[in-house]
Amino acid sequence: MVNVEYLIVQIIVVIMAAPLVNGIIKKTKALSQKRKGAPVLQLYYDLFKLFKKSTVVSDTTSWIFKAAPYIVFTASLVASLLVPVTTMIDSVWYAGDLILMVYLFALGRFFMMLAGLDAASTFGGMGSSREAMISSLIEPSILVTLMTVGLTAKSTSSYQIMEFMKGVDAPLIRPVYLLTFIALLIITIAETARIPVDDPSTHLELTMVHEAMLLEYSGRSLALMELGASIKQLTFITLLANIFIPHDQFIFISGAGAVLISILIYLIKVIFVSILIAVAEVSTVKLRLFSIPNLAALAFILSFIGFMQHFVLGR
Amino acid sequence: MDWLTPSSLLYWSIIIYLTAAIVAIFFYRHPHLCTLFAQSGCIFASALGAASALKMILFDQETLIITPFESTVPFISISMTLDALSAFFILILSILVCCVSLYSIGYLKHYYNKRNVSAFHALYIGFILSMIFVFTAGNAVFFFIAWEIMTVISYFLVVFESEDVNEKAGLIYIVMTHIGAAFLMIAFMIMFVYTKSFDIFGSSEAIPATAKSLMFVFFLIGFGVKAGVVPVHVWLPYAHPAAPSNVSALMSGIMIKTAIYGLIRFILCYLNVHNTWWGILILCIGIVSAILGVAYALMEHNIKRLLAFHSVENIGIILIGLGISFVAFSQGNGILGGLAISASLLHTFNHTLFKGGLFLGAGSIQYATHTKDIEKLGGLIKKMPVTAVMVLCFSLAISAIVPFNGFVSEWLTYQSLFSIIIPGQTGINIISILAAAALAMSGALAAACFVKLFGISFLGKARSECALNAAEVPASMNTGMGILALFCLVIGLFPVFFLKVVDKVVFSISGTTVIGELQGGFLIAWYPINVSGNAITPSAIFIASAVIILATAALIRLVGGKVSERKYGTWDCGFRELTPRMQYTATGFSKPLRIVLRILYKPGRMLETEKGDSSYFPLSKKYRVWTEPVFEKYVYDPFLTAVKRFSLRIKLSVQTGSTHAYLVYIFAAVLVLMLYNRLA
Repeated sequence: MVNVEYLIVQIIVVIMAAPLVNGIIKKTKALSQKRKGAPVLQLYYDLFKLFKKSTVVSDTTSWIFKAAPYIVFTASLVASLLVPVTTMIDSVWYAGDLILMVYLFALGRFFMMLAGLDAASTFGGMGSSREAMISSLIEPSILVTLMTVGLTAKSTSSYQIMEFMKGVDAPLIRPVYLLTFIALLIITIAETARIPVDDPSTHLELTMVHEAMLLEYSGRSLALMELGASIKQLTFITLLANIFIPHDQFIFISGAGAVLISILIYLIKVIFVSILIAVAEVSTVKLRLFSIPNLAALAFILSFIGFMQHFVLGR
Repeated sequence: MDWLTPSSLLYWSIIIYLTAAIVAIFFYRHPHLCTLFAQSGCIFASALGAASALKMILFDQETLIITPFESTVPFISISMTLDALSAFFILILSILVCCVSLYSIGYLKHYYNKRNVSAFHALYIGFILSMIFVFTAGNAVFFFIAWEIMTVISYFLVVFESEDVNEKAGLIYIVMTHIGAAFLMIAFMIMFVYTKSFDIFGSSEAIPATAKSLMFVFFLIGFGVKAGVVPVHVWLPYAHPAAPSNVSALMSGIMIKTAIYGLIRFILCYLNVHNTWWGILILCIGIVSAILGVAYALMEHNIKRLLAFHSVENIGIILIGLGISFVAFSQGNGILGGLAISASLLHTFNHTLFKGGLFLGAGSIQYATHTKDIEKLGGLIKKMPVTAVMVLCFSLAISAIVPFNGFVSEWLTYQSLFSIIIPGQTGINIISILAAAALAMSGALAAACFVKLFGISFLGKARSECALNAAEVPASMNTGMGILALFCLVIGLFPVFFLKVVDKVVFSISGTTVIGELQGGFLIAWYPINVSGNAITPSAIFIASAVIILATAALIRLVGGKVSERKYGTWDCGFRELTPRMQYTATGFSKPLRIVLRILYKPGRMLETEKGDSSYFPLSKKYRVWTEPVFEKYVYDPFLTAVKRFSLRIKLSVQTGSTHAYLVYIFAAVLVLMLYNRLA
C-alpha cells in the first residue's frame, strides 16, 4: 500500500537538497555584492558540526522547548513528503494533500512560537508575536493560491496537480498560472523568513523574526530547527518548480534511469528558483514590519485575480 | 429486549436525571454528598443517553414518537420525538455532560459553604433536561417551552456566582436571547397560520414561498442570537466568563449548538431549502463570524472571554459548512449538500469536545490560581503538568492543527468549498473562495491566539504570586478533561468511524449518503478520508511522524554521539538577571495584530509620566492601552439611545397618566377588534 520507493527517494532528495538551497542563495547574494562568499555547502558543515556540539538549555524551559525541534523538523519533513520531487514514481497522494501540507507547517510553526515563549526571554516573545502576525496574514493567500491552482486541476493533491500540469503546455504564459506563480513566490519568501519580510543574516532585534524564536537554541536542537526551516523552504520551491514548470513529460525512457534524470532536472529547476529568490532578496530592502500586510495583500490579490480570471470571467 | 430500545433508554436516562436532582435537593445540608450523588447520577444518565442516541443512529433509523403527556388544551402536548438528527445532538450532549459532571465533582469543592450547591445541581440538571427536550421536541409549542426553560435556567446559572458584573452579564444575556425568542415565536405563528399545525415533522407545502423566506429570516435571527453570530454575539463574551466554568463548558459546548440544531431542523428539514440566497446569506454570516470572532478573541486577556469569542468563530465555521450545504441542496446537488452538512455536523461535534475541554481547562486554571487574567499567569506547565498537556491538546485541536479533530472537519469544509466552485458561476464562486480565505485566516489567527493563551499562561516564568502558588487540580477534574482530549485525538486520527455516525444522520436528513465519497477501509488503509480523489490519512501521517522522530533521534545519536546538556539561565544580553516582568505579555504578544487590524478594534493608548527633578528621570510612568468594544459602541449604543429616546417620547405623548386617554384607547381597541371580527 505504502509506496516505499517513493518515500526513500523523496526523503533522501529532500534532506540532501534542502541545505543546498540556502547555500545557493547565499552564494548568489555574495557574488552580487562582489564578495567571494561562503562555500555553497556551508550549511552542511554547520549542521554536521552542530550535531556534535553539546547543548545549553535555559533552566526556565519546559519539555515544550526540547520537543519543539523534533516536532518542527518532523512536521516539515512529513509535509515535504506530500509534495513529490518527481512524478515518475507513484506518490503517496492518498496520505495527504496540499491543505494537509499547510496545516502540517502550521503544527511546526505553533511549536516554534511556543518554544519562543518558553525561555521567558523578550527576544523569543518578540519573534513569536511577529511570526503570529505574519503567518495570519499570509495564510489566506496560501490557501487561495493553492486552491486556485488545484481547482484548474480539480484536485488538492499536489501529485495530481503535477500530473495535470504535464498536460498543460507552457503554463506560465496563461494568466491564471502566471498570477498564482508570482503569488506563490511572494508567499515562499514570506514563509521562509527572507528579505523583504525577515532578514535571515542578522541578529538585530529590530528586524529579526525567525531567528528571534531560535535564539535560545544550541547544538543539535538548533541544527534540527535549521534543517526543518530549510526543508520547508525547499518544499515551497518544489511546489513552484514542479507545478508551474512541469518537466516530466519530456522524459521518454522508463525505469530507474528516468527517475534519476527527472530528479536531476528537478535539481536544476530548484537552483533556478533559488537564484530567482536570491535576486528578489538582493534587489529589495527589508520592509518595515507594518508594511508586511501590504505584501500579503499583494499576494492575496494576485491569486484572487487569477481565480477571477479563470473561474468567474472564463478564460 | 424491550428495555434496550432507544426510547426506553432515553426515558430511563431522564428518570435518573430527575432522581439525581431530587436527591441533590434532599441532601442540601451535605454539599459533598449532594455533589457526589448528583454528578454521578448525571454521569450514569448521560451514559444511558449516549447509548440511546448511538443505538438510534446506528440501528433504528425510523423516527420514534414518545408522547408521555397529552393535554386537553389544544396544541399543548409534551410530544417527544427521536430521530437520527435529535439523537446526534443528544449524543454530543451526553458525551459532554459525562465529562463535565466528572469534572464538576472536583471543581465544585470551592463552592462548598459559599453558595447553595444543591440548588446549583438542581439547576444544572434542569439545564441538561431542557436541552434534551429541545432536541426531542415534536411540536413547535413544546419546542418553544423547552427553549425558554433552557434560557431561563441558563440565566440563573450565569448569575450563580452573583456579583454586580454578573448581573449585567445575565441581563444582557436574557435580553438578547428573548429578542431572538420573539422572532422564533413569529416564525412559529406564520407556520401555524398556513399549515394549521405546530407539528415540526409535518409538511410545509402549504406555506407560500414568500412566507417561507420570511420564516427563514426569522429563524435565522432567532437561532442566530442563541448561536452568537456576528453582529448579535454581544451576550457571549459577558455570559461565559460570568458563569461557573462547568456551566460555561455546557453553554458553549452544547447550548449554542441548539441553534445549529434549530437551523437544520426548521430550515433544512421543515422548510426545505428552495432559494440559493438562503445558503449564500448563511455563508456570508459564517465568514464574518469566523473572522471577527477570532479577531476579537485575540485582544482578550481574560481566558473565558477569549474562549467565548472563539465560540463565535467556530459557529462561523459551522455556518460556512451549513451555508454550502444549503446552496448545494437548493441547486439539487444532494451529494455535495450531504458532504457539506457532514463537515458542519462533525465540526459541531468537534467544537463541543475541544471548547468544552478548554472551558474546563480555564476552570482548572481559575481553581488553581484564582484568576482568569492571563497577564497574571506564567510557568504553570511546571505546577500543573497534566492540565497543561490537555490544554495544549485542545489548543491544537481548535487551531485545526493535525493530528487533532479540528483539522478533519475543517478539511471537509475546505473540500466542500472546493467542490462547489464551478467555472462560470459568479456569486457563489467569489463567496466560496473568500470563505476559504476566511477559514485559512481564522485558523492562523486561532493558532496565534492559542499560542498566546498557552504560551503566556503555561510557559515562561510566573508573573504573579497566584501563579507561583498554583498546584495541580484534583484527579476527577483532569479525568473529565482527559476523556475529552482523548476523543479529540481519536477523531483526528480515525475520522472515518465518526464520519459513519455523521453519515447516518445526514442520510436521514437528506436521503443522500456521502460515505461513498468518503472512502476508507479498516486499519490497513489507516482510515483515509477520500473526497473524489483528494485524500488525507491522518493516522498514516501520525505513524510516519512517530517513525521519523525516532529515526531522527537515533540518527543524531549516531552522527553526533553522546553530548552533554548544560542548564543555564536564559540569555540576558550580559546584564542582570531577567525578571518575570521582562517577559512578553499577552498585550505585547498581540500588539502587531492589534496594529494591523486596528480598524476592528480602534485601539488607544496613553502614557502618563510623573516628572521628577530632571525630565530625564521621571518618577513613574504609566502606560495604558485599550481596545474599544466596536460593536457595542457603534451599533448597539446608538440603537439603544434611539430606543430610549423613542420610549421617552411615547411615554410623554401616549402614556400620559390621564384616565380619560386610557378610556379612549380601550374604546378604540374594542372598536378595532369588532371591525376585524366583522371583516374576517
